[in-house]
Amino acid sequence: MASSGRFWLIRLISCLLGIALCFGIQSVAHMLGNTYYERLIILAGLYVTLAVSLNLINGITGQFSIGHAAFYQVGAYAAGFISVHYMTQLHMGGYAWMFLMVVVGGIAAAITGFTVGLPSLRLRGDYLAIVTLGFGEIIRIIVQNSDALGGSYGMKDIPKDYAIWAVWLLAATCIATCRNLLRSAHGLSFLAVREDEVAALAMGVNITRVKVTAFVIGSMFAGAAGALLAMFEGFVSPPMFSMDTSFIILTMVVLGGTGSITGSVIAACFLSYLPEYLRTLQDANHQALMISGASIVAGILSALGSAALLKRMLEHASNLKGRLIATGSSIAVLIVAKLALTPLLTLVKPMAEKQIPAEQLRMVIFALTLIVIMLIRPSGILGRSEFSLDWLKRVFMPNRRMATEL
Amino acid sequence: MHPSYLIVAGLDFTALPQQLVNGLLLGAIYALIALGYTMVYGVLKLINFAHGEVYMLGAYTALFTSWYFGFLPNLNQYPNSSFWILLIMLAGSMIVCAIIGVLIERFAYRPMRNNSRIASLITAIGVSLLFQYGGALFLPNSPPPSVAEKVNPFGGAFSVPIIPADAKLSEVVKATQPDYEQKKKDLEEYLASTGQEEFSSDPQVVAKRDAKQAAEQSYMDAKRKLETSGVKVTIQRGQLTMLLTAIVLMLGLRYLVLKTPAGRAMRAVSLDFDSAALMGINVDRVITWTFVIGSAMAGAGAMMTATFLGTPLTTQYGVQPGVKAFVAAVLGGIGNIPGAALGGILMGVAENLVVWIGFSQYRDAIAFVVLIFILLYRPGGLLGSAKVEKV
Repeated sequence: MASSGRFWLIRLISCLLGIALCFGIQSVAHMLGNTYYERLIILAGLYVTLAVSLNLINGITGQFSIGHAAFYQVGAYAAGFISVHYMTQLHMGGYAWMFLMVVVGGIAAAITGFTVGLPSLRLRGDYLAIVTLGFGEIIRIIVQNSDALGGSYGMKDIPKDYAIWAVWLLAATCIATCRNLLRSAHGLSFLAVREDEVAALAMGVNITRVKVTAFVIGSMFAGAAGALLAMFEGFVSPPMFSMDTSFIILTMVVLGGTGSITGSVIAACFLSYLPEYLRTLQDANHQALMISGASIVAGILSALGSAALLKRMLEHASNLKGRLIATGSSIAVLIVAKLALTPLLTLVKPMAEKQIPAEQLRMVIFALTLIVIMLIRPSGILGRSEFSLDWLKRVFMPNRRMATEL
Repeated sequence: MHPSYLIVAGLDFTALPQQLVNGLLLGAIYALIALGYTMVYGVLKLINFAHGEVYMLGAYTALFTSWYFGFLPNLNQYPNSSFWILLIMLAGSMIVCAIIGVLIERFAYRPMRNNSRIASLITAIGVSLLFQYGGALFLPNSPPPSVAEKVNPFGGAFSVPIIPADAKLSEVVKATQPDYEQKKKDLEEYLASTGQEEFSSDPQVVAKRDAKQAAEQSYMDAKRKLETSGVKVTIQRGQLTMLLTAIVLMLGLRYLVLKTPAGRAMRAVSLDFDSAALMGINVDRVITWTFVIGSAMAGAGAMMTATFLGTPLTTQYGVQPGVKAFVAAVLGGIGNIPGAALGGILMGVAENLVVWIGFSQYRDAIAFVVLIFILLYRPGGLLGSAKVEKV
């Protein structure tokens, strides 16, 4: 019983630490004292939830879904609709209402996820991808044509109510759920489905139930994030949840590493900040930075070229030294190619004359990220590795092995 | 008399033939695009997500070619159009698309060939987004330009009667026409002889004008009744050209695939990639040719929609047709060339039927509904083999 007591003690401490961390993030945001930073931190938290929940479906269970924005949308509209029509009647407000809306958004998205997942998860690989994309578009088109939800103008005047700690607490809950799931017997069956469906079936795993469970949990968290988005923005409209949003979430998962929760968190924070970073870029005269078309095309071509070169060289590199040399030389190739191509392309008049604001490069950078990551490291930056403190245990207790170490 | 017996359960069946014909014409274009998806899937087992963007670039090529021939936007006087300009636009779009398709294959898909299919799919999504948003930085898209209507020498439309007009009504028209013309002539002669304006308040003029208007009213009424009494189909000459070109191209493709050594190699690679390579077929070359042909077909489709339908061009131009054509390919049985043609036409018809039923705002959703049902209940497609992939 002593070990059980210690187990719950550790759980309790990590829960408290997690909540403390969320409030810590909030107080950091308040210290920065700027609604702009608050906004960035809230969006980062929402994207972390979205990316980790998609990773549960794509990375951990291996079911390639690319319509995640649909569940985000269902959550946002469910919470928005109920807030607009019933908030005053129910005489509620504040954190209780926010909590209720997160639950409502989560449940609405989970129901949608179940309805979508049950038939489509019979498919695999690229077909599943297309069908999830299709369901996402159908949901968006239905919302767009539904007058009760505001149609293509969107839903206005949702009572605004948000808290940074709530957004990050949702993200922390999502991370904790996925992490703890992976350490349980259920989680191992998720991994078994990813590795080999037929073998998992032979071992007695109910693969349909595993897939649908992962899909429902993933969409539930996306819906809860949507509810928080609706209450943060006070306005939702169909373009906020288009195919592009799905692809942005997918890029986060792919960049961080399909299967790595840590990777998704880092990539979500990084990629949700990227557009804001591009917007703040300035030239010498403190105007928004304009980049010449020739320079952009040169950048795209040399990035793709050097990535292809790196891939080729990594295939032949046998040890760490070889890999380092390959990486170093392809970075050198990238820089040389960029420097050489820019003046060459400046000779092409329409390209040289075109001046493009840096913030318009957002989706181009996402697209390039997808291609380059697939070329040089298809498993993503972190692969399947996770941030953990296990190495500490190994240092202090060298004779104990973790039960779930894979 | 309006054929009211043709309105059943709120559906106007008199409009049905027109919608079916529109669907057929649109479906021919979907079929052309679907060929590219199905051929690439046949040899590489890859959904070429960037195919819609190849189509978009084909439409822009047609736009730039028409500008080169002087059909610039907002001109008062357009140069004379000819069949040859259209042919050059078609060839230009096909060649440019073929080159882009080959480049995409060579630099994006070939390096990924040994990786998993999901990795290739993500690459394809990346390429598609890169063209959409990279293209938006350079191509004119706001306000969306469109190919000048005047470039099309096959202007105008003609009608084909399905149910002939009521004979009694045509006699009424014939009876009222001389009266109307007589009254009109009276008024004009009187005005010419007295030198008055048509809308003067002279009682003589007012009387003649009222008489003319009454006669005109009854003549026009009779004419309108005559027109709506039958059922007919109106076809734009440009759209007909589109259909004929699509048929010629598809027959050409069929000959290429079935009767030439290159086509045989293509079928062999599609049947079994590794064995084909062992039999001495240069697989890389076959894949390159697959992309050449598939992309050229998309280019032809793009040039024709841009020219004959006059749709405004944006860099998202290829997204919806691309999705619908992909669904068409799956519907017909992906990897199956006649299936792609059949699926394209069915998709075009289905889309127009949705419009006819009155759900025109859902015309873009029908593709996905069809896709989901076909994948769930007949994953092999209509003409494909219904084998389910295991492992």
